[in-house]
Amino acid sequence: MAQLLSAPTLEAQERRFALALFVPALAVLLLTTTVPLVYLVWNSLHRLDLGMPWLSGFAGLGNYTKMGSDPRFWNSLLLTLIYTGSTVVLQVLIGLSLAMLVMQFPKGQGILRIAAILPIVLAPVVVGLFWRTLVLSPDFGLVDLVTRALGLGSHNWLGDPQLALISVIAIHTWQWTPFAFLVLLASLATLPADVYEAARLDRAGAWQRFRHITLPLIRPAIVMVIILRMMTALSAFAAIFAATGGGPGSATEILNLYAYRTSFSELNLGYGASLAVVLMSMTLAISYLMFRLRRAR
Amino acid sequence: MHRSAIRQIALAAVAGVGLAVWVFPVIWGLLTSFKAERDVLAYPPVWLFKPTLDNYREVLFGASSILPNLWSSCVVSVLTTLLTMLIAIPAAYALARLKYPGKRASGFYVLATQMLPPVGLIIPYYLALQRIGWLDSYSGLTATYLTFSLPFAIWLMVSYFEDIPLEMEEAALLDRAGRLRTLWYVILPQVRGGIAVAAIFVFLNAWNEFMFAVVLGGNRVRPVTVAMFNFISVEQTQWSKLAAGAMLAMAPVILIGILAQRHIVKGLTFGAVKGGGRR
Repeated sequence: MAQLLSAPTLEAQERRFALALFVPALAVLLLTTTVPLVYLVWNSLHRLDLGMPWLSGFAGLGNYTKMGSDPRFWNSLLLTLIYTGSTVVLQVLIGLSLAMLVMQFPKGQGILRIAAILPIVLAPVVVGLFWRTLVLSPDFGLVDLVTRALGLGSHNWLGDPQLALISVIAIHTWQWTPFAFLVLLASLATLPADVYEAARLDRAGAWQRFRHITLPLIRPAIVMVIILRMMTALSAFAAIFAATGGGPGSATEILNLYAYRTSFSELNLGYGASLAVVLMSMTLAISYLMFRLRRAR
Repeated sequence: MHRSAIRQIALAAVAGVGLAVWVFPVIWGLLTSFKAERDVLAYPPVWLFKPTLDNYREVLFGASSILPNLWSSCVVSVLTTLLTMLIAIPAAYALARLKYPGKRASGFYVLATQMLPPVGLIIPYYLALQRIGWLDSYSGLTATYLTFSLPFAIWLMVSYFEDIPLEMEEAALLDRAGRLRTLWYVILPQVRGGIAVAAIFVFLNAWNEFMFAVVLGGNRVRPVTVAMFNFISVEQTQWSKLAAGAMLAMAPVILIGILAQRHIVKGLTFGAVKGGGRR
């Protein structure tokens, strides 16, 4: 083996070895992600409607200009912002509060950890189905049992347009808050105890300690959680698809679902591709900004 | 003293409620899977009922058995995990430890591929796989699963490789062990934990995947996630059967979740606590 790899200098040998190890991954990634991406952009410049194949052809930027006057597109864009913004904020707020709460109990964290892992490992599509039937269904769902017991009456949680949006936000928050919780708990556990001791001696209040010590120290973890949660929220699909299918009407149709429905329900793959390109550019732009923001401070 | 005791109890209660919110729907589903159809729709809900295994029998051996779907999920997930690890481990080692031209750029590239939303890939995959006749095939589905599993596994492994002390490698190299032998006998045993974490995550994500499976699968290759989805559109109100099917479909991931909880928490927190990739 040593002879096979022997090269003029150690450096050249290392370079060769590194390339031999990295090139397979590079080739697979190029073939499975970059080539399809180029093909996607190419398709987004075409009219490609499987329902009307005779109309197919090059369309230039036609698909993109069409979006400007497409109310369903603007609606989905707005829903994407609401969905992503609210789920990320809720996850970080609830996750952080719970983590700080649990930090007070050194014992019993094991059970909590299992409880928190449970939603994370479940398939989003199964979560969506579960909520649609057992949790949110009118009359027999768990939530309806509670609201009826409290005298708030029965509601069509997934059938009413406004409630449906709140419901899918709740589903997403239920499933992924444990992620924020676990990460922030681990991050809190690494904080040095002596800083707090000093702060307490200086008579810093609980809020001041949180504001000036805890928050700056776990800031990197929070930003990382926000980035990762945004990625998941922007490409959320299965849970909404299973719970509402994007409906009623287009009440829960975030951009991701709109691109999917356009492509595979209405079979308008060209327009669907351009919607996907918009979503993809948005995701890349946001993650770029977040990474920049992370480095800046 | 007294006040702090009350405070403790109140805090514990809040934590308990949080816990229940996460666990309860799953336990409720488990209970429902053992209920007869009439007990499911009882109001008020019944806690004490005569448990039955009929739902499981029906879901496993009935007309629309999910056994073939479990098999599909198994094949795709295992294939994806093996292929991913086989390609990701060497690449991650190169990224973490070796010098080669274009290293920084290639690290960025891997990171960028991880950001691609699946809906952007599914359209070109649908068109391409249709053309080469790979729709509804294990090869086609596994190839698409590599798109999300490979970048993730590479980055996770990079952070594990970076944690190994450099001296170990140098010592082995000075013994003229050869680079490949060093990697195999000295380095890999050090990152066994990381390999386990990465493999678990790749398997979970592959098992739970839905969007690619529903579009690119078919009658032959139909993972359980798709079968579950079809189940509800066909048999709207048979909740107890749906629950039984869901329990079977999710049994592997729930088991992994409980058995490998330490690994999973590590995988979730690794990047975040260390501050993600350094580049």
